[in-house]
Amino acid sequence: MSAVLVALPKYLKIYRVSLTERLVYRADFFLGTILRFLPTVTTILLWEAIYEGSKKDELGGFKRDEMIAYLLLVHVSRMFSSMPGLAYGIARDVRDGSLKKYLLQPIDMIAYLVAYRGAHKTAYIATTALPYALLFFLFRAYFPPFPDALTLTGYVVSLLLAFLIGFFFEASLGMMGFWFLEVTSLLYIVGAINFFVSGQMLPPDFVPKPWSDVLKALPFKYLAYFPAMVFLGKVRGWDLVYGLVAEVAWAACFIVLARLLYRWGLRRYSAYGG
Amino acid sequence: MARYLRLLGALARYGLARELAFRGNLIAKVAVEGLWLAILLIFYLTIFQNTSSVAGWTEDRYLFFVGCYFAMAALVETFFLSNCNEFADLVRSGDLDFLLLKPIDEQFLVTCRSIDWSTAPNVLVGAAVMVVSLWRMHWPFDPLRLGLFVAMFLCGLGLAYGFLLLLTSASVWLVRNQSLYELWWLFSSLMRYPREIFQGRIVTPVGWFFSFVVPAMLVISVPADVMVNALDAKTVGFTAAATVVLLVVSRKVFRLALRRYRSASS
Repeated sequence: MSAVLVALPKYLKIYRVSLTERLVYRADFFLGTILRFLPTVTTILLWEAIYEGSKKDELGGFKRDEMIAYLLLVHVSRMFSSMPGLAYGIARDVRDGSLKKYLLQPIDMIAYLVAYRGAHKTAYIATTALPYALLFFLFRAYFPPFPDALTLTGYVVSLLLAFLIGFFFEASLGMMGFWFLEVTSLLYIVGAINFFVSGQMLPPDFVPKPWSDVLKALPFKYLAYFPAMVFLGKVRGWDLVYGLVAEVAWAACFIVLARLLYRWGLRRYSAYGG
Repeated sequence: MARYLRLLGALARYGLARELAFRGNLIAKVAVEGLWLAILLIFYLTIFQNTSSVAGWTEDRYLFFVGCYFAMAALVETFFLSNCNEFADLVRSGDLDFLLLKPIDEQFLVTCRSIDWSTAPNVLVGAAVMVVSLWRMHWPFDPLRLGLFVAMFLCGLGLAYGFLLLLTSASVWLVRNQSLYELWWLFSSLMRYPREIFQGRIVTPVGWFFSFVVPAMLVISVPADVMVNALDAKTVGFTAAATVVLLVVSRKVFRLALRRYRSASS
């Protein structure tokens, strides 16, 4: 415990430097943020057209308003759980030998990357908070009444755990670089599957049984689907408690997996190149 | 023109030889693209189990739209996207100097110098999806519509290229672009769905803006419309004119961006 406390200021400094670096490219960041709203708007309009065409108010257990709210909330989930470039960056450092910079300094690579990624997430959430608040305000009619304190707490916890699952899952993928020279294709395949199974494209409830049950049993639902369902009040009481406990367990699994893969990988690492 | 076509052929052969040196990787990349199409088709099949039409597009017509989008996206990715994605790095590192020194048009070299063969099969897959949809709807063969479709598809490609070039040029002013792959994916969401989804008091003007001021929504909608929906001569004419204007404007902006390039770090 005391070792963690001693190391903490070091990683807080890394966090601060990374945050400053991120905010240097403001115009670039701003352009990306504006464009990021386009898929949100077009997807919402597509679903409006789907409900309009079906002449029904409920599809797959989702009323029209709930579906629109779900699509918006999935974006919030992904703000926390998406880790673009993390796995690729680790695999690249292994391949070109630059991983040795972590081994030669008193820095733990995974802790460094958590601090670095945390800073990027903070910058991203801080700079998009206002436009997202505006978007949510414009679509406020689609949302159910604001959740009670318990649900809200559960929602925040589910988002923070989504960050951990997203980070350590991606980090574990990146560790594959110790065993395979080129992992880009693997990352593409996982990314494509993840887009569907995490519920970003549509809630798993739309998929016929038993496939919907299979999708809900996987950890990927915590990256997008589960937090959104918590906010919508579709996961309550003991279901919420069981869901959060399972999310903690999955986060712990991926933390252990990433650590083990890193340790085993270092035994194979020959630091060529770099 | 013939010289550039020969050059493109040589670059394509070189790119193919390089890709075939890593056959396993090429097969994996092609498989990923197939996976994306499978996910897309599963999504729309799931949707059409719940509804008979989306914004006036029946299932078979929508399938044609999806095939058209897939083929168009594949052409952009095969010929331009990876090249344009590298532009920000060339600017930041100063390596753009090496391209500017060559006795070839800079725009051609920056946007077409390598071909991504892993996405090329998607053009055929997209075409196959279009053919299946036409077969399912018993489409009566009409050479006029087919000719117009080819013309509008090429215009759509020209529009997409123009927008991509504008986003690429922005790298010079923004110093560092986030991955252009990501920016393009975000921007191209305007092309991914029929423009008829923009219905409603607030969004109708937005749809009009992205059809007639920034005509991104015409890229897929117009060729698909021409083939399987009613013919609208005015929109066809406007799309052709908009393509010419956008290609000219994007070239001017690209050249302006090159003049702002300071060759730093080289």
